[in-house]
Amino acid sequence: MSVVPPGPARSEAPGMMRAEPMPARRGMRGEMADIDVQGLVKRYGDVAAVDGLSFSVEGGEVYEKPGPNGAGKTTTLEIIEGLRTPDAGSVHVLGTDVLAHPQTVKERIGVQLQATALPQFTKVREAVELFAALYRKARPVDEVIEEFNLGEKADAYTDKLSGGQMQRLSIALALVNDPDLVFLDEPTTGLDPQARLNIWTVIEGIRQRRKTVVLTTHYMEEAERLCDRVAVIDRGRIVALDTPPRLIAEHAPGTTIEFALVPGLDPEALRALPGVERVVADGRVSVTTRSPEAVLHALLDPHAPWNRAGDADRVAGVGAAGGAGGGGGGGAGGGAIRDLLVRNGTLEDVFLSLTGRSLRE
Amino acid sequence: MSSFRAFRAMAINEVRASVRNRTALIFTLGLAVLFMIIFGLLFGGSGVSVSFDAVNNDRTPEAAAYLKALTSVSGVSLHTKSHAAAFSDLKDDSVIAVLVIPKGFGAAVAGQGPSQQVGIYQAGGGSAETAISDELVANVTAGFAGRGNPAVTLSAPKVAEVNQVTEMDYILPSMIAYIILFSGVNYVAIGLVEKRVTHVLRRFRATPVSARTVLAAQVVGGALTVLLQILVLVAIGIWVFGAKNYGNWLLLIPPIVLGTASFVGIGFLITSISRTSESARALAAMVTFPLMFLSGLFFPISSLPTVVQTIARILPLAWASDALHQVMNDGAGFSAIGTDCLVMAAWAVVTIAVASWRFRWD
Repeated sequence: MSVVPPGPARSEAPGMMRAEPMPARRGMRGEMADIDVQGLVKRYGDVAAVDGLSFSVEGGEVYEKPGPNGAGKTTTLEIIEGLRTPDAGSVHVLGTDVLAHPQTVKERIGVQLQATALPQFTKVREAVELFAALYRKARPVDEVIEEFNLGEKADAYTDKLSGGQMQRLSIALALVNDPDLVFLDEPTTGLDPQARLNIWTVIEGIRQRRKTVVLTTHYMEEAERLCDRVAVIDRGRIVALDTPPRLIAEHAPGTTIEFALVPGLDPEALRALPGVERVVADGRVSVTTRSPEAVLHALLDPHAPWNRAGDADRVAGVGAAGGAGGGGGGGAGGGAIRDLLVRNGTLEDVFLSLTGRSLRE
Repeated sequence: MSSFRAFRAMAINEVRASVRNRTALIFTLGLAVLFMIIFGLLFGGSGVSVSFDAVNNDRTPEAAAYLKALTSVSGVSLHTKSHAAAFSDLKDDSVIAVLVIPKGFGAAVAGQGPSQQVGIYQAGGGSAETAISDELVANVTAGFAGRGNPAVTLSAPKVAEVNQVTEMDYILPSMIAYIILFSGVNYVAIGLVEKRVTHVLRRFRATPVSARTVLAAQVVGGALTVLLQILVLVAIGIWVFGAKNYGNWLLLIPPIVLGTASFVGIGFLITSISRTSESARALAAMVTFPLMFLSGLFFPISSLPTVVQTIARILPLAWASDALHQVMNDGAGFSAIGTDCLVMAAWAVVTIAVASWRFRWD
C-alpha cells in the first residue's frame, strides 16, 4: 500500500494517486492515516497505563495529546515510536505496522523524547552529523543547523547549551532525516516564556512544511495555538478528540465570570441566575453561564446586598438577599465585586470538565 | 551499508568523546604513567640491584676472572669475604646469596683438574629477587663454561632463560595490561550504563539503528581508545623511561586485542546487572582493583598463595599480563602465548555473547 507523503513530495505526486480509492481508514484528504492505533493496551503490573486506546491522525496536522501526569501520554507515544511493545492492539504509522517493521517506520519518523539525552562530550555539529549518519537519507547538516538557528553554537558542547537551545537541537535532531511524521514529547516543559515562544515558532515552521506533528503538553494555551486537533487522554483512555473550538463548544460552553468572594454573597444563590451551569467557589468565585449578560447584571446590581455601602449593612443584608432594597443605597459606586474577569471557555476548562482534575495535579 | 555508516559514525563519536573525557584519561593513561614514574624513582632506572658475597677458596686468576665477570653485570654488587663473614651477611639479609668457589676451580677451568661446582647458598629462598640472582649467576657461569669448558657448573642452576629485565621493562607490559583492564571495563561498560540511564540509548533506539550496531560501536570505539592510550604509554615508556621490548611488536597485537575484548565483555556483564551508573562503578571497582593486584601486574603471580594463584589464573588479566610479559620481556614467539590468547578469546566470546543476549535499551 503506497502512502502519499505529506511533505513537499505531495505536490509532485500524480493526482491519480490521491483520487484512487483507499481502504476503509481514510483521512479527510483521501490519504491513509499517518497514525492508526486500534485497541492499544499496555500494562505495568496490575496498572493499565494505556487501556484500549484507539485513534487515528491524518496527514499534515498538528495533533496534541494533553493529559495529567501518568495519564499514559508518553507510554502511548513510545509505543507508536516503536520504543515499547504493547500488550495488545495494533499500531500503523504511515501505513506500516510498527510492531512488525519498526526499522521501516523509524526511517520515516522524527522523535524528540521528553528527557533530552545526547552522548557526552559531543558538540552540536557533531551531534547533528551523528544522527544524520543513522538514517538512510538525511538532510545536509549545515542546513539543519541554520534552520534551527544553532549556527553560533555549532562548535559548543551540547551540555553547555541553554534549555531553549538544547530543545532546539533536540527538535533539529528529530528532523534531520526529513521525516513525514514528527513526535514532540513536552517540547516546552521547563522553558522560560521567551524560549517557549521560540519553540512555538519552530513548531509552526514544521507545520508549514506540511509535516504531521504529534506533540504532548501540559500547557493548554500551547495546544490551542498550535494544534489542529487535540486528544485528551485520561487514565489510559482518550476521553475527547476534536479541534480546539469544537472541544470548547462541546465540553466548556458558555462564559465564565470570575471574581473575588465578597462577604454577604452566597455563591450557592448564584445557581438560580439565568443560564448558570456551574459555580465554583474557593476564595474566588467562578460562574459558568450561557447568559453572561444577565449574570453580570445581577452581580453588579447596586441594590444587591453585597453592593450596599457599609460593612454593617452588608452583613445585615445577608438574609435579605434578593429583597426589595429600595432606590438610594449603594452610593459607593461600582459595588463590592472586585477582580472581575469574564472569559470564554478554554481547553483548560475542557480538560477540567472531562477529567475532573487539574492538569498539573 | 547504511548500518556500517551508522556504526562508523557512532564509533568515531565514541573515540572522540573518550579522548575528550579527561577524568577518565587521568584514571587510565595518567595513572599508568604515574605508576611508571613511581617505579622509575624507586629503582632509578638502573634495573635490579642485588648484593652477593663470594667466598673464594681458590685464589687462582681463573677464579678472579669469574668474580669479575659477575661484578660486571649491571645491578650486581659483589664482595669477596671470609666464609664466616659471608654467611653472617646472608643471615642478617644484607646479601641475597653467597657464592662459594671451590678449591680446584682454576684447575678445572684450565682443564687441568676434575670438574667443579660453584656453590650458591640462599637464605629461605623463593623470592623474586633470589630467582633473578640465580639467573644472573647461572648466565655468567654458563658464559664462563661456554668457553669450551664443561668443567665448571653451578650447584643449583635454575633454568629460566630470562633477559636482564629491568623494573621498567617489567612495568611497561604491566601498565599495558592495566590500561586494557581499566579502559575496557570503565570506558565501555560504564559508558554504556551511563548512556542507558541518561536515556541516550533510548534516543538511539528511536532511530533505525540496531542494538547490534550500538554495541559494536561501543566495543570498537572502546578498543580504539585503548589502542591510542597504549601507543602513548609505550612511547613514554620507551623514550622517557628507557624501557625495552625484547620481543616482536606485532605479537603484542593479539593479546592487546583479545585482552581488551575480554574486559569489554566483562564490562558488559557488569552493565547488564547494574541499574545505575553508581552501582556499575562500584562493581567495576570491585572487579578491577583485585584483578590488578592478583594478576602479576606488580609482582609475579608465583609469589602469591596457591589459592589466590588459582583464582588469578582463571581471570583473563593474568593471561593478558603473562602474554605481554612473555613477548616484551622474554622475546617469546606466538606459540608461547597461544594458550593465553585462547583463554582470552574464550572469555571475550562468552561475555560478549551473554551481554548481547542481556542487552537492554532502558
